[in-house]
Amino acid sequence: MKIKIRNLKFSYPNFSLEIPDLILEEGQVTTIVGPNGAGKTTLLKCLSGLLTIPSGSVLINGQDLNAIKGSRRAQLIGYVPQEMTSIFNYTVLDFVLMGRAAYLHLFSLPSEADKQLALEALAYIGLRDYAQRHLFELSSGERRLVLIARALAQQAQILYLDEPTTFLDPKNEIEILELIKKLSQEMKKTIVLTLHNLEMAAAYSNSLVFIKKGQVRAWGKPDEIMTEDLLEEIYGVKIKIIDWNGHKFLIKGK
Amino acid sequence: MRNRFVSTRVITWVIILLPFLLFFFSLGLGPYPLSPKDVFQTLLSPFISSINIPEAFSAIIFRIRFPRLCLAFLVGAALSVSGASLQALFKNPLINEYILGLSSGAAFGAALSLVFLGQTFPPQLAAFVLAVVAVGGVLLIAGQSETHLITLILTGVIMTAFFSALLALVEFFASPYALQSLFFWLMGNLSLATWKDISLAGPLMGLGTIILLLLRWRMNVLSMGDDQVKALGINLRREKMIVILAATLATAAATSVVGIIGWVGLIVPHLVRMIVGPDNRLVIPLSASAGASFLILADDLTRSIASFEIPIGIFTSLVGIPLFIILLKKTQRVWL
Repeated sequence: MKIKIRNLKFSYPNFSLEIPDLILEEGQVTTIVGPNGAGKTTLLKCLSGLLTIPSGSVLINGQDLNAIKGSRRAQLIGYVPQEMTSIFNYTVLDFVLMGRAAYLHLFSLPSEADKQLALEALAYIGLRDYAQRHLFELSSGERRLVLIARALAQQAQILYLDEPTTFLDPKNEIEILELIKKLSQEMKKTIVLTLHNLEMAAAYSNSLVFIKKGQVRAWGKPDEIMTEDLLEEIYGVKIKIIDWNGHKFLIKGK
Repeated sequence: MRNRFVSTRVITWVIILLPFLLFFFSLGLGPYPLSPKDVFQTLLSPFISSINIPEAFSAIIFRIRFPRLCLAFLVGAALSVSGASLQALFKNPLINEYILGLSSGAAFGAALSLVFLGQTFPPQLAAFVLAVVAVGGVLLIAGQSETHLITLILTGVIMTAFFSALLALVEFFASPYALQSLFFWLMGNLSLATWKDISLAGPLMGLGTIILLLLRWRMNVLSMGDDQVKALGINLRREKMIVILAATLATAAATSVVGIIGWVGLIVPHLVRMIVGPDNRLVIPLSASAGASFLILADDLTRSIASFEIPIGIFTSLVGIPLFIILLKKTQRVWL
């Protein structure tokens, strides 16, 4: 699904987000990067409809996001938050099954088919054997994977992931990003995520969106836009980029 | 794993059947004890004319014990299901069914009726109306921000304080006789249960409880963070209102006829979660049957352990609080 952002504006009392024009292509991974407080999560929430856009528009295959409500929107868009916040220790299967809510009426219970879809989502992320485990037994990396599995059970073609690798060790970080890449390539999902790790963002994204103080400073393919000058402008520190076999490494600049 | 699954199923069936068994045996308990055979024959006597039982048996069972136990059954189920539902909705296992100011509203209503209005406005009706007014006031004051749970809970605390102050004011002006009636009502009591109470409050308790039972799986989804609930396609505002209104209806109807019976909505869902885990598809219906059992058993004990009857509200608090502390200590919250 193709997402077109047109002159999107959203503001809090001391902050305003302005995205003039941006196109997110089907089957591609777009990563939003920028310093803390730049508006990355706010942008994701605007795109997913969790925040109502007061001005401008987000078009999904030509249809205005504001006109797509409730369960219909959840069938199109899956939102993966930073952390799992359940205070109840559900089983992994029960948690993933919640992704089917958009397909069920108010008083309905999930069917056997819904259960199978949840199990398939778990199998896809490699945690089929975890179905009967409880959420509180999972590691941070497993919790992130289970959140993604719930979004997969939602069968949405667009996935927004808010800092899916924060606080994860390199193994889990790579595992999650490989999964995201696989989802965009195999399932043709349109994926937008936010990341702080610029090296990983450059390695796993088709395009990057640099934002600072709610404004887009650069947008395009990582190779074309990620320059030392841009990083200094965005983060306010000198950063040296070392290119090695097409991979970008960042070290402190002088 | 299989053994655990089988034992959970067995326990689940025990919880479902227990209130009906307790109900039957409790029909025989009281100052005039009846054997299970007498109870059985008395229950069949309206349908089989050849059964001859003393007139007194019929009067004891059908006029006194049956309505009382029916009320205990319905109130226990209504309070427990409301508590379990609100705990899921507010994402907080320490929430009880009175969190939105309902009990103090009901108490003030009953006080107004008993002290000032007399027979013109019966305490049951006044308690129900004021309980609904208290929760309505909370929703109105919280207004648009009702999506923020903390605002709702704080407004509930404020409303409780407000109605408690009004209750104190009424108590200040009350005559000693009116005060005695009021304290009797506030302590929670099943002893005055009549078929009329059940016919008035029963359908309201039933309606609220059935709505919550039907929403049992949805309650799992509603127990997630607000953003997650919305992202899963749920109309959070609408469904939150449905749960609050259904829980209010069930609890207000129960409170209006039996007074304030605390701790049922807190302890019973916790006990159930300890046994079957947190999945509300099981927790909500099993809370209904476990709540019914809890209150029938509590009623049996209040009638049996002393020569006089202890008000059930006092008993549930006296038993409930230590039980809750033991549960917290023993289980280290792992059932949540």
